[in-house]
Amino acid sequence: MVADVSTLSPARPGQKKDRVRLPLVQQYLDEQQRLTAVERFSQRHDAEALGPGARFYKDLLPLEKPGKGQQLAFQVDLDACTGCKACVTACHQLNGLDGDEAETWRSVGLLHGGTPAEPVQQTVTTACHHCLDPACMKGCPVGAYEKDPVTGIVKHLDDQCIGCQYCTLTCPYEVPQYSKKRGIVRKCDMCSDRLAVGEAPACVQACPNGAIAIHIVDVARVLEDAKGEAFLPGAPSPNITVPTTTYKTRRVLPRNVVPADFHRVRSSHNHAPLVMLLVLTQLSVGTFIADLLLDKLAGAESVDIGRQYRSVVALAMGLLALGASVFHLGRPQYAFRAVLGLRTSWMSREVVAFGLFAKSAVLYALSFWVDPLSALVGVKPPPVSLLSTTQDVLGWVVAASGILGVFSSMMLYQVTSRRWWGAARTSVRFALTAAVLGLATTSVTLLVGGFFDYTMSGARVASMSLMLPLGWVAVLKLATDAVILFHLRARGLGELKRTASLLVGELRGPAGSRAVLGALGAAVAFLLPTQPALGTTALLIWLVIAWGLLVGGEILERTLFFRALSSPKMPGAIGP
Amino acid sequence: MSEKRDLAEAARALLHQRKGPLTAELVRTPGGFGLGQVPAERKPDATTTAVCGFCSTGCGLEVHLKDGEAVGLSPARDYSVNFGMACPKGWEALAPLKSNDRALYPMLRNEKGALVRLSWDAALEAFVRRFRAIQEKHGPDSVAFLGTGQIPTEELAMLGAFAKFGMGMVHGDGNTRQCMATAVVAYKQSFGFDAPPYTYEDFEESDVIVLVGSNLCIAHPILWERITRNPHQPEIVVIDPRRTETAMAASLHLPLAPKSDLTLLYAVARHLIARGWVDREFIAAHTTGFEEFAEHVEPFTLAHAVEATGLEEDAIKRLAQLIGTGKRVSLWWTMGVNQSHEGVRLAQAMINLALMTGNIGRPGTGANSITGQCNAMGSRLFSNTTNLLGGRAFESASDRADVAGILGIPVERIPDRPSLAYDQIMEGIHSGKIRGLWVVATNTAHSWINQADAHDLLSRLDFLVVQDMYTSTETAQRAHLLLPAAGWGEKEGTFINSERRVGLLKKVARAPGEALADFYIVKLLAQAWGVGELFRRWSDPEATFQILKELSRGRPCDLTGVDDYAMLDQARGVQWPLRAGERVVPQSQRRLFADGRFYHSDEKARFLFDPPRPVPEATSKEYPFVLLTGRGSSSQWHTQTRTAKSAVLRRLYPNEPYVELSPDDSERLGITSGEWLVVESRRGKFRARAHPTHVVRPGQVFVPMHYPEANQLTFPAFDPHSRQPAYKHCAVRIRRLEASDQV
Repeated sequence: MVADVSTLSPARPGQKKDRVRLPLVQQYLDEQQRLTAVERFSQRHDAEALGPGARFYKDLLPLEKPGKGQQLAFQVDLDACTGCKACVTACHQLNGLDGDEAETWRSVGLLHGGTPAEPVQQTVTTACHHCLDPACMKGCPVGAYEKDPVTGIVKHLDDQCIGCQYCTLTCPYEVPQYSKKRGIVRKCDMCSDRLAVGEAPACVQACPNGAIAIHIVDVARVLEDAKGEAFLPGAPSPNITVPTTTYKTRRVLPRNVVPADFHRVRSSHNHAPLVMLLVLTQLSVGTFIADLLLDKLAGAESVDIGRQYRSVVALAMGLLALGASVFHLGRPQYAFRAVLGLRTSWMSREVVAFGLFAKSAVLYALSFWVDPLSALVGVKPPPVSLLSTTQDVLGWVVAASGILGVFSSMMLYQVTSRRWWGAARTSVRFALTAAVLGLATTSVTLLVGGFFDYTMSGARVASMSLMLPLGWVAVLKLATDAVILFHLRARGLGELKRTASLLVGELRGPAGSRAVLGALGAAVAFLLPTQPALGTTALLIWLVIAWGLLVGGEILERTLFFRALSSPKMPGAIGP
Repeated sequence: MSEKRDLAEAARALLHQRKGPLTAELVRTPGGFGLGQVPAERKPDATTTAVCGFCSTGCGLEVHLKDGEAVGLSPARDYSVNFGMACPKGWEALAPLKSNDRALYPMLRNEKGALVRLSWDAALEAFVRRFRAIQEKHGPDSVAFLGTGQIPTEELAMLGAFAKFGMGMVHGDGNTRQCMATAVVAYKQSFGFDAPPYTYEDFEESDVIVLVGSNLCIAHPILWERITRNPHQPEIVVIDPRRTETAMAASLHLPLAPKSDLTLLYAVARHLIARGWVDREFIAAHTTGFEEFAEHVEPFTLAHAVEATGLEEDAIKRLAQLIGTGKRVSLWWTMGVNQSHEGVRLAQAMINLALMTGNIGRPGTGANSITGQCNAMGSRLFSNTTNLLGGRAFESASDRADVAGILGIPVERIPDRPSLAYDQIMEGIHSGKIRGLWVVATNTAHSWINQADAHDLLSRLDFLVVQDMYTSTETAQRAHLLLPAAGWGEKEGTFINSERRVGLLKKVARAPGEALADFYIVKLLAQAWGVGELFRRWSDPEATFQILKELSRGRPCDLTGVDDYAMLDQARGVQWPLRAGERVVPQSQRRLFADGRFYHSDEKARFLFDPPRPVPEATSKEYPFVLLTGRGSSSQWHTQTRTAKSAVLRRLYPNEPYVELSPDDSERLGITSGEWLVVESRRGKFRARAHPTHVVRPGQVFVPMHYPEANQLTFPAFDPHSRQPAYKHCAVRIRRLEASDQV
């Protein structure tokens, strides 16, 4: 490609601009678009399957298949890992992971410590640990995880996933990666189809220092080792999921090694649909239970006031909650699969319990509208005794399934082993939310019932009788919420101290607002019974305001439940 | 029946779907071509090997092609540099090409100060008219150029030849001044030619490896790989103030006080002499100046070294013993040595140790500079900046005549005086001597030492032309005229790596818009300037390579034995020298000085030395900390114009600037991990997050160089011989960020 030099004449100062594209420019631009590597340089390789690379990694693979009571596992030689991170990029490239989303299935963290005289830094490469007791698999509501019976590799079925992301909360190692683009999570499968033909996984192939190997482990030994908590400094306890990766080193790491990101305290994701799900289901269940208890325990006539509205409001809130939760799914069209994991997943159990709750609540609510509905359709209403028995049974079914649902919600978070989401803390939290919002909703609907049913004085008395309990429960809720702040005094920077410092630090805005809303709601509840002169309309407005304050407070509280979460994780790198 | 079964199957799949479009996305398939499995969507129909375009290691990358275009890549397994391995930058080498801030068209700054698109013809016209006007008013040497070590040798030669022989420029330098100038001068003075003597196999042959100012694990991970392949259980000594990843992996780490290195090495030399661990025979036969050197190091006692370096006496003795008694001792250095106010003498102190112990010319030995940029070595020989083409001297009439003869150009077109160095060009802008500047493939506004001053200087220029892949670099943002360049992978040419291996680039991706290879941009400019005829033979990169071969004939860097690009491709790169008629076997390892004959006229190497000088900016009460700078991670390259374009690489380093400081200091100052600090020198300040770690010693702080702010702090001191900036030492203070801080 020899250019014709005569095609471009030299420019001179002052010469008029030549607006026509000169042929040489066009020729070079055309040349630039021609790819020449194939035509100019013949390919040098024959199409052998495994290629010359195999000799580099043959020592890094097991010679045979795992036997009974064994499985495959990663082995990382910490002394050979020097932090180049080639493993991360190789995994990304050779597995065709998403470039736009910077999807990575392996990551490299850093431990450091020691003394000025003997400083230590240790880079740590990590991927899926293909656990003996995979929390991702146990928590998955749709059975999208499988543990291979021979190799022990934990595989994810991408097409089965509905994108609930629950596994990203149950896995202590941040392994499942959510892809917004696809609405599913994806994860490391130890390059199982490479292993099947004797080829090393991408990361094993790519480590310049041979720091990553695949070897066979005895299940019994891994279980035994998990008891020792010596998996890796700075990593979550191996007791949660029994990870199979072995980190080996000849060095003795000093006792003060911490991950490079140890002091980084950052808020977690705000799962808005889940916030709505939790708060509104608890409101709904709380209202139905308050209604039932008033009916059964107080036995007051006035309890009947506004019941038809109350049940509709409670039902509407419950349905709104369940509807909102669908927005949390990456692939909501497959939401129906969420019952498949009933055997192991609290999420499936929550779905089933709330499903029963919703169905029985619909019937229950309808039962209070039997007369007008019968008139509307033009049929004779059923006898009162039958209706009342049915309502009794339905009321208990609604309450029981609601309690089961809220319990499942609690368990769903409790099993993640996050301390902030521990059983006691979460049970109290959810139960008190149900109590506060149930009482608040009941008191509002009592008064509303009074308006429509011309039983104002009785309604007013009944509603006001709930104010003191409501106020005290709201105060109790605030107090239990605040207990976490005691952890600010802890010496070590544990999970709960991180959560507490988020609440007074990065999240002090929402945390403060939460406290203010809750306190104002409680104050209104305490003050209203002391104002007998207040007109009915004004009273209703004040009640609705109190209800709004308390609901708002609980929504903020639940937002903080997610955002102030501090999760255990594998050692991270420096800085954000 | 079967319909029923299908229906049942469909229902089952709806409930539990094991396969489908999402699963298919991640299916892997045998790639052929010896690749193992690859993503099925990117299965290649051909492959070709190209040398990587980031650092000087010069890894071979196997580019996976589909219809001639790159669809993926993996490290070449039969390339004798990297043996199937690459660092993250290499793995992600294609990502920076796809960035949306690529320069697509020539752009000219209008009266309102905005860069607007114009045609190539108009751009060429503007280049010629503006630079001509400056030269006519202020003289030909009032326009200068700043090149790079990042583009192929053929392009560098074309650029340097056009600028100096075509446009009549006198002054041109490259960003190689910032990384390699010290090694160039040290070798030239000691050996008689800029000739790193080693081959990478020496990493595998040594029994003692001494790394000075070199964090190989992070800066050159593939060279560390070569050390891990050493079967002789070598002693690995790291001399570095920080406990780097490499220091962690070494068998002996000497955390000396910053810039006490020259004293340490002289003390080691003295101890070697005292213990009789010297090769008298080699010294007598192949060197001059040893007696004077021995006299010079006499005052450098162990006690003196202990005081200067803060090291234990035993550690220094151990180092001397390893060097003195090792059978195959190799000494390696990188930027910790080069970027020093006395870097040349420091490099030569290492050369001296190799010479006096006879550790040169044999497998596993040598005083070896590990270069920085992918084509720093090509730039050193053929950029026509400091040296006349082929490692010649502008001052030498016979060298000028040689070059004029080979190129067929009038000898008077060749300047007879050497170029100003980078810092002197910048100083020339300050004094008004330099009015026009042409910056090619480098990011002066980020990388130059004492950055605020650099920004001011660039703004003073009458005309600044920037030729780059990106519109977004700090320097491109300041350009009057921006010329869009094709990048690595979009053009052909050769790079020369640290071990003198000439490797080939391939054209495997289409440049965006009207971007052109630098080679053809310069060709067009030459035409527009009216000197196209001078470069008639430089028709394309390979034809230019043939000219470069002629320029190398009979010189230490002789390449006349290389037939053409096809031969380079077949041989997986060829190390110079390869004289006409010599043949290489693929993957051969070639080292210099096996015969003990050096390039000085007497064929002897020189012992060169000077007393250590105090650091240019010592710490004080006001600025009590020493600022160290260096590579942050393997996934970052220099000013990040390319590495920041890969989303994956971006995940592999901290996105916010951070500063490492000793926990002793952070506790004393009440600084907590992760909080914002202000790091401040007399020249500037910037904010960085605190990372207390014992990796740095009390009184020192470390900042990675990739953050643009780092060079707002650095002190503009230069090695007097190489004019290389001393990035590795200046005085700073640190404090917590206040709400009132405007940083």
